[in-house]
Amino acid sequence: MRKVLSVALAIALIAILLFGVADLPTFGNAENPSNNEVSYRYLEKGVEETGAVNVVAGIILDYRAFDTFGEATVLFTALITVIAVLRRDEDE
Amino acid sequence: MNKIHKEAERSEILTEVGKVIIPFIQIFAIYVILNGHLSPGGGFAGGTILGASMILHRLIFGWDNLISRLTYDRVMKWMCASLLIYGALKGYSFLTGGMHLEVWDVPLGTPGKLLSGGFILPLNIAVGIIVSITVYVFFKLFYEGTI
Amino acid sequence: MEHLLANYYETGAIILFGVGFVTLLAHGNLIKKIIGMNIMDTAVFLFFIAKGYIAGNEAPIIRSVKSASGYVNPVPTALMLTGIVVAVSITAFALALTIRVYEKYGTVDLNEIIKMGGE
Repeated sequence: MRKVLSVALAIALIAILLFGVADLPTFGNAENPSNNEVSYRYLEKGVEETGAVNVVAGIILDYRAFDTFGEATVLFTALITVIAVLRRDEDE
Repeated sequence: MNKIHKEAERSEILTEVGKVIIPFIQIFAIYVILNGHLSPGGGFAGGTILGASMILHRLIFGWDNLISRLTYDRVMKWMCASLLIYGALKGYSFLTGGMHLEVWDVPLGTPGKLLSGGFILPLNIAVGIIVSITVYVFFKLFYEGTI
Repeated sequence: MEHLLANYYETGAIILFGVGFVTLLAHGNLIKKIIGMNIMDTAVFLFFIAKGYIAGNEAPIIRSVKSASGYVNPVPTALMLTGIVVAVSITAFALALTIRVYEKYGTVDLNEIIKMGGE
């Protein structure tokens, strides 16, 4: 009974989301709203301002290095949390 | 209830094959990290490969905690030092740029060579060390049940 | 309908999201629920990175001087690297909690834990 209900709920959710996908702009179009002036600026001035040939590495380690710092902190915090959960004190 | 399972016996085939294969995996991981600004790859992918080689080392050679070189204390010191080095390097360029001070800046060099790009190479190495140690300590904790 | 088949990456990502959602709801085993959550995370990453593709261009590694309109959009790839790391951390934390639940109740099935519950 629960399996039938969960499959029906998932199908309803997928149908609603697929109605949204039908209104998206075409895949691979150069006139997408997501290709705005930010990516053009990163591609044109990326090599002379950062010195990295790989533009993605120049973005995550020079333009937006603070986000990578926050993500390294998330890794460290998850490590500390797992150690704190799995620690076992020496009982008698 | 100290360990969830028993450690396997020492096996000759695994030891000999491990001595040959583990250096190759580590050299490939160091190549991917150091060429992060010239070709696809970078700190995260290279760090995962290095962590996989450390897991293999622990599985083959770790039957006695005294012989293994990757004990818990040493590994945690490397990780904390690496995170602090990342924070210091990033904080230096962040604060001197934000307050418009005119202090010494890292020279950029010519694009296409190994030593170019300012701070990108040390930051890649720091991120690689952090990711590899995280992957290794997750495996070590789940394998032994406790610290 | 043809529009759904022209955007095949986004359609595939949403169907994968639905598969992960059913896996999260329909099974009673705790480990399968965690696997379902991981599948849903991967589906979201695929959907987001597929938005940056431009047809006919090449990967954003600048070797020879070309105009800026000959490369793929690099910004979604750079944003999703952080997301992948967060997904790995959440999976590891959920598995650590499952170990604690197993040590206390002796089983990993959610229905039996609810019947035993209240301890």
